[in-house]
Amino acid sequence: MAELKYAFYTGCSAKGVAPELYNSTKLVAEKLGMELIELEAATCCGAGAVQEKDEFLALTINARNLALAEELGLDLLTICNTCTLMLREAKFKLDNDPELKDAVNQVLKEAGLEYKGTSEVTHFLWEVIDGVGLDKLKEMVVRPLKDFNIAPFYGCHIIRPPYLIGYEDPDNPKSIEMIIEAIGGNPVDHTARLACCGFHSFWSAEDKVTLKLTAMDAQSAKEEKADFMVTPCPLCHTQLDAMQEEAEERIGINIGMPVLHLPQMIGLAIGLKPKELGLEKHVISTKEIIQKVA
Amino acid sequence: MEKFKLKVFRYDPTRDTEPYYKTYELPVEKGMTVLAALFKAKEEQDPTISFRYNCRAAICGSCAMRINGHATLACKVQITHLLDKYQTDTITVEPIGNVKPLKDLIYDMDWLVDKLKRIKPWFIPKEKPPVDGTEYRQDPYDHHRIDFASDCILCASCMSDCNALKANKDFLGPMVHSKAYRFAADTRDGAKKERIEAVLEDLNLEWCVRCMECTTRCPKEVQPYENIIRLRIMAAEEGYKTPGEIHAEIFEQDIYNRGLLNEMLLPMRQEGILGAIKRAPFGIKMMLKGKVNYADFFGGHKIKRLEEVQKIYKAAKEKEKEVKIKLPQIMGVIYEDKRKTRKRVNYAETGGNE
Repeated sequence: MAELKYAFYTGCSAKGVAPELYNSTKLVAEKLGMELIELEAATCCGAGAVQEKDEFLALTINARNLALAEELGLDLLTICNTCTLMLREAKFKLDNDPELKDAVNQVLKEAGLEYKGTSEVTHFLWEVIDGVGLDKLKEMVVRPLKDFNIAPFYGCHIIRPPYLIGYEDPDNPKSIEMIIEAIGGNPVDHTARLACCGFHSFWSAEDKVTLKLTAMDAQSAKEEKADFMVTPCPLCHTQLDAMQEEAEERIGINIGMPVLHLPQMIGLAIGLKPKELGLEKHVISTKEIIQKVA
Repeated sequence: MEKFKLKVFRYDPTRDTEPYYKTYELPVEKGMTVLAALFKAKEEQDPTISFRYNCRAAICGSCAMRINGHATLACKVQITHLLDKYQTDTITVEPIGNVKPLKDLIYDMDWLVDKLKRIKPWFIPKEKPPVDGTEYRQDPYDHHRIDFASDCILCASCMSDCNALKANKDFLGPMVHSKAYRFAADTRDGAKKERIEAVLEDLNLEWCVRCMECTTRCPKEVQPYENIIRLRIMAAEEGYKTPGEIHAEIFEQDIYNRGLLNEMLLPMRQEGILGAIKRAPFGIKMMLKGKVNYADFFGGHKIKRLEEVQKIYKAAKEKEKEVKIKLPQIMGVIYEDKRKTRKRVNYAETGGNE
C-alpha cells in the first residue's frame, strides 16, 4: 500500500468548539494506518468571511497554508468541509492564473515561503475511501453497527460547487453511504441528505433562515427513523447538534436527533470506546447509542 | 435497458385537489433529452401533459424543471445520462422547487418577476450615450467582472434548489441577487447605490447560506453564489456595515493576532455585550459538555510562526492595491465520478516534485 501520510490541517472548530473531532480523528486515523503530521503553523482558512472582505489576503493566507504542506512534501488533509472548499478554491485560482500566483508569491517571499502547487487538498472522508480503502476498513470492523439506521448529512462544501470539489457527483454522492455500509450500518435515505445546515448565515439570519433549516434537516432524519445523523463537517455538527434545541424551540417541535462526527462513527465500529471518541461531549444525548454498542 | 419510466408530476387545479404522479413507459433512445421524452409521452400516450418549452437549445430557459430532485433544463439533459447517473429505470420530473405549481410542470412566474422588479433589472446609464453614435465603451477587465453574470437566462434553476429560499420565501434569491450584481458591477451603470440598498433591505443579501446549490444548478455557469458574494464585497466597499462585514473583521483580526478564530469570544465581538448575555445560556451548555477551551477566554493559544503571518498580512494589504483578480471560469462543471483509488506519490522520495 502507498504511504498514508498527510499534512494535517485541523481548522478552527476542532481546536475550539469541537475538541471531540480533533481527538477522535487522531485516534481513528492512527488505527487506520494514516499518519497525520499536524500543521501547527497553519492559520484559519478565512471560512468565506475573509474571502468576502479581502479576497487577495484570503488567497495569500491559504497559499501559505498550502505552502506549509508543500514544505513537508505531503498532501494537505482537512476535517472540515468549509476548510476543504476554501483551500481548494485558493488552489484553483492560483493554479489557473499565473499572474495571481506570481503576485501571491511576491508576498509569501516576505516570509521566505513559496506556493508551488504541488500538494493536493483532500478530506478525511475521501482518504478513508481512496487511501485506506473500504476493504481494509471492513476487515478492521470489530463492532458492526448493524443495529443502527444512520442518516448521512454531507454538508454543502464537500460536494458543491463541483468545479472546485469534483470528488463525486453532487447530485447523487455515495461516499458516506459506502462507509456506513462498510462498517455494517444501514444508511438512511432522507430528504435533507444533501441539504444545508444553515451555519453560514447564523449571525445575519438566525431566526429567518438558519434555525428553520437546522430543524428541517434533523426532522428529516427523524422521519426516516434514523438512530443518528453523521457528518464529515464540524460546522454542520455544531449547527445540527449544539443548535438543535434552539431550532426545536423556534419551530415548536421535538426532535432529539443525535449527530456524530464521521471519525466517531468509524471509531465505534473499529472498537474504540465511546468515551475515547468523546461521544459524551454532544449536546443532543448519545446515551442510547452508547448503550447499544456496550 | 430498452425502456424506462417517466414519472411526471401532474396537477390540474380545475380538477385535482392534490397533485399526483403519472408514469409513462418509453423506449430508451440514444440522444433523447428529457424534453423530447415529454413530447413523446404527450404525443403518443397522454395529450394532457402541460409543460413550458421554446428554444430546445438551452438558451431560453423555459423548460427548467426538477429532474430526479435537482433543477435543470429538460432540453439539456439526456435520458441515457440520467439512467446511468442515478442507476435507475425511472426519471421523475416535477416543476422547479420553491415556487407555486400552476398546472403540471408549469409554475407561477409572477412571484419571481415581482422579486426581480425590486432590483430594476435593466441598464440605467450613468452618462448620456456617446455623441458620435457609438455604443457605451468599457474596459476589458471591467467587462470581465460582469461577463459570466450577463449570461443569465432567468430560467430560475438556481431559485428552485436554493436552501435559504426553502426556509424563507422572502429571500430575494440567487437569480435576483445575481442579476443585481450584473448591473451594480457594470461600470457604465448609474444606479449602483440604489441596487445595493435594494438587496440590503432587511439584510436580505445576508440570508444566503453559502450552500452553493445555485452555482451547481446553473445551466449557464453564471456563478450566482459567487455573484452574491461579489455583491456583498461591493456593499462593504461602499461602506455598509453589515453583520457579514463585522464577522469578516473579527476573522481578519484573529488571523493576525493568533492565527485561528477565537470562537469563545466571537458572540460578544459580533453582537456586543447584549449579544453575549443573550448567548450565555448556550455558552454554559457548551461548557458543561466540555466543548469550551477555557484558554480562549484569555486570548487562547497562538499558532506557531505567527510572526510570519503578520508579515504576510501587511505585505498582502499593500500588494492588493495593484492586483486585478480575474473571475475564475468554471469551464464545464465537473460531474464525473472521481471516486477511485488514485496513484499515490511518495513525496518523501520525490521531494514534492511530482
